[in-house]
Amino acid sequence: MNEQISGLGFAAEHDCPIPYMERLRSYYLTLGYGNPYKWAHYADTPFVALKKPLAEARVALVTTAAPYQPDQGDQGPGAAYNAGAKFYKVYSGDTDDKPDLRISHLGYDRKYTTADDLNSYFPLAQLKALASEGRIKHVAPRFHGAPTNRSQAATIDQDCTEILSRVREDGADAAIIVAN
Amino acid sequence: MSLIARHLEANGIPTVVMGCAKDIVEHCGVPRFLFSDFPLGNSAGRPHDPDSQRLTLELALQLLETAPGPRTTLQSPLHWPADPRWKLDFSNIDQLSDEEIARRRQEFDKSKAVAKQRREEAATS
Repeated sequence: MNEQISGLGFAAEHDCPIPYMERLRSYYLTLGYGNPYKWAHYADTPFVALKKPLAEARVALVTTAAPYQPDQGDQGPGAAYNAGAKFYKVYSGDTDDKPDLRISHLGYDRKYTTADDLNSYFPLAQLKALASEGRIKHVAPRFHGAPTNRSQAATIDQDCTEILSRVREDGADAAIIVAN
Repeated sequence: MSLIARHLEANGIPTVVMGCAKDIVEHCGVPRFLFSDFPLGNSAGRPHDPDSQRLTLELALQLLETAPGPRTTLQSPLHWPADPRWKLDFSNIDQLSDEEIARRRQEFDKSKAVAKQRREEAATS
């Protein structure tokens, strides 16, 4: 039977997107934490179309990565989970610079990846390259960093509002939001 | 991050989310989602692979341009090199011994304490 299936070119049964919610729920329950995390969930989702072609648009970048903080311990590449490297307020950086951003404060897959290439989690260099080729008109003057470790209420009441206001100040026509 | 995408979009700014956790982002619901089936931490493409990083961003831009409505997910055609075994390993409780579970619990408690302290410091600064 297996041979027949492999003859059809099917992928391995486990080769599908990881069911993270289910995986993490059993993980933390077994570790001894009841009251499982409630993921944000909505029935309706907003949508607006682009108002101008990307070749005429200014595009903003929003990230969960954190600026490197020399006094906060090992932040990688390959660092263990580092809660000390978290940040608690929205921050912004100049997109003309080459920021040193890390993800040691996030639950990335430490067995199979080491976060040793900024461009795999923060696509600023790629976005600048596409701007120089005319694919988009401009990279917005600042990128914005969003805290990930706060309550969903704080994210909605404070961080979302703050990022919207900064993205508007920058005159961005669209935003790329990179989760990690 | 999904919440931010929703908020910007609701206020007139079109967004695209790039990410690796398909179920979590789709459960929330975002306008446009470029899903890369890679280990968490590689939402912008494979490390040290500029072609994959460029394609990943290009696909995100195409989603901005062409998504017909909300909750549009596009899965990147790229694969993580090597065996898909990483998908079985991530936070998989069935693979951990009792000692390892105890060790991780301790580690998690420690991280929570550090985060709490940092949060309180941030609130008073």
